[in-house]
Amino acid sequence: MDAAEKEAPESAFEALLQFDMEMGAFLSDWHHCDQLASFMARMISHNRTDPVRHSNFFSSALNELLEMSFRGGSPDGRIGCAVYRRGPTERVKLTFPCPPGQRQFYREAVSKTRKGNAYARYLDAISTDLAPSRDAVLLDLAINFDAEVRLEENDPPSITLVVDLPLEGIVS
Amino acid sequence: MSTAALALSAPFKVEFDPNSQEFSLSGVIRPRSVDEIAASISMLREVIDEVRGVLYVNVKRLVQMNNTAFHAFARVVLDACRSRSDIRFVVVTSSVVGWTERMFGHLNKIEPQVTVEVYDSKFYPGQSFVEDTSFIPILRTQTKMTWRHERAILPRHGMRSGIAMADICCGIGDFAMLVRKEFQPARIVALDHSRASLAYARDVAAGFGITDIEYTYGDASEMLLEDNQFDFVTCRHSLQIFNQPDVLLKELHRILKPGGRVYVTNEKNSHCLGEPRSQSIQWTYEEVARLFSHFEMDVELGPKSRRYLADAGFDDIIVESFMVTNLDGDAQDFADIIAAWENVYAGEMAVKRGDPPEFIERFRQGFRDHIFAALHPKGYAGWPIWAASGRKPL
Repeated sequence: MDAAEKEAPESAFEALLQFDMEMGAFLSDWHHCDQLASFMARMISHNRTDPVRHSNFFSSALNELLEMSFRGGSPDGRIGCAVYRRGPTERVKLTFPCPPGQRQFYREAVSKTRKGNAYARYLDAISTDLAPSRDAVLLDLAINFDAEVRLEENDPPSITLVVDLPLEGIVS
Repeated sequence: MSTAALALSAPFKVEFDPNSQEFSLSGVIRPRSVDEIAASISMLREVIDEVRGVLYVNVKRLVQMNNTAFHAFARVVLDACRSRSDIRFVVVTSSVVGWTERMFGHLNKIEPQVTVEVYDSKFYPGQSFVEDTSFIPILRTQTKMTWRHERAILPRHGMRSGIAMADICCGIGDFAMLVRKEFQPARIVALDHSRASLAYARDVAAGFGITDIEYTYGDASEMLLEDNQFDFVTCRHSLQIFNQPDVLLKELHRILKPGGRVYVTNEKNSHCLGEPRSQSIQWTYEEVARLFSHFEMDVELGPKSRRYLADAGFDDIIVESFMVTNLDGDAQDFADIIAAWENVYAGEMAVKRGDPPEFIERFRQGFRDHIFAALHPKGYAGWPIWAASGRKPL
């Protein structure tokens, strides 16, 4: 991803698809992560160069984000997910309730994806953790999907993760 | 072959084949916690205790795996590397599911005992012979000549407008384009394992402003396409170049909707014929069949289609044959196809098999005689093809 892509204004991205649901409903079944990721991936990939493989990659990445919000989410409020496109990049904006005490955690987790030692941290997480921590999940997106991750802090209780995924360049 | 299988909650499968020391993960593995996959994690630990030398970890049919599962399986492998210096791990990934190559590739950075191999060609013994871009004009001519027959045949096998269809092993995409124009399916997915052929197909489509054919890089023996989604699946001239056509048919069956039909075409090369000089021609094409057999391909498969379709679980099987001849349109087209066959079969495959020059010369002569028959004003040259279809039971 080049510098112009990173700095692209929101308006440069075309809106593709979004969903919004009660957090309580989302948290009622773990399989919602898989089902939403697969459905949205299929919908937004149909006009990519290789729709099937693009959908497979996108589903992988989105599922991790949804699982992250599932694990950290509280039942109050709503979860919203919107997908945008600019050139070879899909932008996922995932908004979900985040208790005040967890905001700093997300700030640091996002910050770690941008640091020069991100890969070393990722390898360390694979080799030492039995289960992935949420910051390891963001590192996975940065390392394996070339994702750019940033955080938008809304009015409490929600936060928004903005994840740019240049999948078209990886898949085709 | 004895295979231990562990049937866990759908939709993933864990298997171990002790003969090949291969532990396989397939399907979609997205557990909420490690507890959900505890049985398969335990199975991997037990397998590691059993094996000697190399353990193959096969993830080429792994469609999805979340980080929870990846960390759990990776941890077992990495722990084993630390406690068992006597074994190596070879992770077999697929280029089709690209993220597995990236994810599992990191394990090598942590423990050199783990290596990653990208599976590509096990099911494609003949792939390199047909991927050569010089073969593209001939593939186009072949499709042009067979299409004269197939456009009339296809409706009898279930082709109609408005359907969802997949053309598996689509090659350079000509057939998908012709079908689109003639029958107007609602959706066409065209899949092939040759990046060069797909690039060509996409260029042609773009040149005509066609955007509604979904060209997909994939492995026909383990497709990412989901179950039960197509009314009609075509697979032309491809079962005969797979060394395991039953595996391919199983996949074609899987992606069809119940009640949908699969349509396959295959040859019986030894039945290629020509007059005059029929004996020379016949000898060469019998040798063609033997040559392909050497490379684990069965170009005699055409009439066996009925049995293969029945064994794969299809019913209402229809089989018919047609003869592409020098009288179909331009005789030079027919001659050009045979000249290309001579180049590939005698010039590359026979050489690769190690055939002596005198054999290759006699082998070439049959092709030349076939061309002579095609171009002779009173000659007749034929290339027989079997078209077969079967229905996936409701």
